[in-house]
Amino acid sequence: MERPMIKAALGAVALTLAAVPVLAQDPQTGGTLRILATGEPDHLDPTTGAMVNTNNFLRAVSRQLISYESSNDETVALAPVGDLATEVPLPTDDGLTYTFTLRQGAMWDAPSGPRQITAADVERGMMRNCNPVLGSFSLSYYTMLIDGMAEFCDGFAKVEPTAEAMKAYMEANDISGIETPDDMTVVFHLKEKAGDFIYMLSLANTAAAPVEVMDYIPDSPEYRENFIASGPYTIGEYVPDTLLRLVRNPAWDPASDPLRAAYVDEIEITMGMQADAIMQQLQSGDADLAYDINIPPAILAMLTAAGDEKLVAISAGNTNFLFINTVSGNNNGALKDLRVRQALQYAVDKAAIVQQWGGPTVAEPVNGIFGLGVLGHHAFDLYPSAEAKGDPEKAKALLAEAGFPDGITLKMPYRNKDLEVATAQTLQASLARAGITLELIPVTAADYYSKFMTNPANTKDGVWDIAPVGWTPDWVGGAARSVFQPQFTYDGTNHQTYNYTDYNNDAANALAAEAINATTPEETATLWGQVDEMVMADAPVVPLIANKNPRYHGEAVQNYRIYALGVEGDWTNIWLDR
Amino acid sequence: MTGTGAPTGEEDGAVVQRGSLDLTLRRLTRDRAAMVALAVIVLVVAMAIFAPVFASLTGHSPITQFRDTGLSPMGIPVGPNAEFWLGADQLGRDVLVRLAYGARVSLLVGVLAACCASAIAVIVGTTAGFFGGWVDLALSRLIDLVMSVPFLLCALALVSVLGPSLMLSVSVIVFFSWAAMARVIRGQVISLSRQEFVQASRSLGAGPLSIMVVDILPNLTVPIIVYTTMMIPSAIVFEATLSFLGMGIVPPTPSWGGMLADASSNSLYLVAWWMVFFPGTALLMTTLAFNIFGDSLRDALDPKSLRTARRLKRDRKGAAK
Repeated sequence: MERPMIKAALGAVALTLAAVPVLAQDPQTGGTLRILATGEPDHLDPTTGAMVNTNNFLRAVSRQLISYESSNDETVALAPVGDLATEVPLPTDDGLTYTFTLRQGAMWDAPSGPRQITAADVERGMMRNCNPVLGSFSLSYYTMLIDGMAEFCDGFAKVEPTAEAMKAYMEANDISGIETPDDMTVVFHLKEKAGDFIYMLSLANTAAAPVEVMDYIPDSPEYRENFIASGPYTIGEYVPDTLLRLVRNPAWDPASDPLRAAYVDEIEITMGMQADAIMQQLQSGDADLAYDINIPPAILAMLTAAGDEKLVAISAGNTNFLFINTVSGNNNGALKDLRVRQALQYAVDKAAIVQQWGGPTVAEPVNGIFGLGVLGHHAFDLYPSAEAKGDPEKAKALLAEAGFPDGITLKMPYRNKDLEVATAQTLQASLARAGITLELIPVTAADYYSKFMTNPANTKDGVWDIAPVGWTPDWVGGAARSVFQPQFTYDGTNHQTYNYTDYNNDAANALAAEAINATTPEETATLWGQVDEMVMADAPVVPLIANKNPRYHGEAVQNYRIYALGVEGDWTNIWLDR
Repeated sequence: MTGTGAPTGEEDGAVVQRGSLDLTLRRLTRDRAAMVALAVIVLVVAMAIFAPVFASLTGHSPITQFRDTGLSPMGIPVGPNAEFWLGADQLGRDVLVRLAYGARVSLLVGVLAACCASAIAVIVGTTAGFFGGWVDLALSRLIDLVMSVPFLLCALALVSVLGPSLMLSVSVIVFFSWAAMARVIRGQVISLSRQEFVQASRSLGAGPLSIMVVDILPNLTVPIIVYTTMMIPSAIVFEATLSFLGMGIVPPTPSWGGMLADASSNSLYLVAWWMVFFPGTALLMTTLAFNIFGDSLRDALDPKSLRTARRLKRDRKGAAK
């Protein structure tokens, strides 16, 4: 996924379907869903899962308070519905209190026999988010919103990272903002109003946790061996980097789960394959789904040309853009000058990048910070050009005005992998038209975010001037906050990892606060749209493309309906016709 | 030239006196494989020298992207046609022109690295072989050390720390190629330094440097020439490997390894065979040509070699018939 390594994300979904499979027959139960993967799920413990595709696995084995119906209709796929909760509650107490009723019959597959999931399990699940061993990527949202969560986590951070010490702390302490008046009721008290709180509870990180897991370090081998499922499947066999077999969870009761039909008997994930081999097996029908690949553009072109209806393009709200280094003193601080940054906006050829990524099926030019399907994404362009091909003349004029009539030389790192190499050279060629020379610096893909970009010294010392990066929002639909806050706000003291240049705009922040508290989707969208335009007026980034994720499935797959958080057909609703 | 067992001089029947260079060239030109290999090498060198001619002939520079004519709207390159003789690559650039400019990189790296490596090998090998004792011990262990390092792994680590560049590629290749040749030279020097002419020289008062350069080095000409020629193709392949892994020449500068990497990334080879075929063939033909030529050169330079002897015998028989 585009998102930096660990904090990879979930999706806001705009479903653009090449074709919607038609329900031709009655659903069939049974069979093994064969899934091919290049690598492993990043984590098996719901608390620690962070990659988008891990959500598909977690959908099958765990349950959250809130989730989404899998559907090919965007409005249905993005509407939060009750999963472990009986329904989506309306907030009370001026938007500060949310009361959930848990579903009767939702069971743990506990070693001692099936056991009802209770309110205490939900609170325990939230507590585990800030365990001192392996935290969750979405923790900051909860500490920011839930009353008493920050205090609980501050204390938890000081606990010795052993299973015993963590268990003792969790048993002795409480999150004051989460109340459990009875076994089947959970009440959340928030510090401030948040229209998107419900969406946050759909993340797997908030999954309830049974009392037994406190005996293990989160996501440790012991945890994995003693996995306790709440979804329709549980781990049957797990060989790291090789095979993950999911079998039916005997404790799961279909009557308690309106979202998962669980047609197939087993789900088998085979790991360690190459993207090409995976595509070949999918096309021949030897496999049913891919786990973690985007279809390579060359194969995509063939499938599109053939009009293959098993090809689906799903947006997860991702965007790709250039971050501009306004911190370093390179070129006498040229990039601190708004005119130079605007020149960059005019110079890039977005149409060329769309073409490089595989054409309009999978990407479109974008002019703001929000991707497709995120409330706030709207058509506007502060730096317009014909067909999004860029306006080199205008860029040259702006550069000359800023004191660089002979052009300027900028350093651009790029990930040494797949499309990124071609994208970098496309950018180099398009900026050259405006007299901007790019010095390309290849960086190993694995080091790009973890070592290169997130090292503030590299930014300060001007090791890079502009850098191609990507972002995927953390949840779906009303997810603008998870794009804006981590990347475009700075409180003056705490550097945020992915706001490389400490960009901040107080007026935009104020408007964003309003947008978060807005009650209707229309109002939310309008306000976030204004935030987007305010940010782009400062030009801290050059938006390039909003891309969709092409997905492909085998012939046997029926009832392929998209699960928004997983950006893939829902494993628990597919049935097979072999 | 068949049946050249008989002398073919200016005057019939006259015995022509030939120098060793002359003899070597005669042996070489008689070897058909060597001549074909040489032709390929000359062709590649010509391609490298006249790269700008290809650019002006087609009107395409090696780094210009032709997004309208070279690519489909979905970003798939077009195949060989009237405008792009060998097709276009994934960015709509001309494969022919890039191939020609890529030959420059390959040859530059190949020849430069091979020459540097053999210079180091000669110095280290001669010193170790001539002085013996602890000098030999130290240098031989150094050779062992370099030969035992997993070179690709080490090269990639080095390049990713220091950042890829042409000079770094050459340095890395040199560092990992001199050892094998140094070991051969050392062996030769050990045996040569016990010969009478060296002892004679020493008894006449010649110093070690003088003996090494004046007496021993000329006797090493054959292995040096042959090994250097054989090192060129491995250096070219090494450079292509580094570029293929994205750690060699920095794009958009064309290099054959980089062109192959372009084809393999994103499965483009499935739809654009020309992106694999042309750079792949160029790489294969060039390395093969250098290898064959080096092989033939060894035969030609060494009249005692088994193969030369066999061929001479065969030729003589043919002449007798």
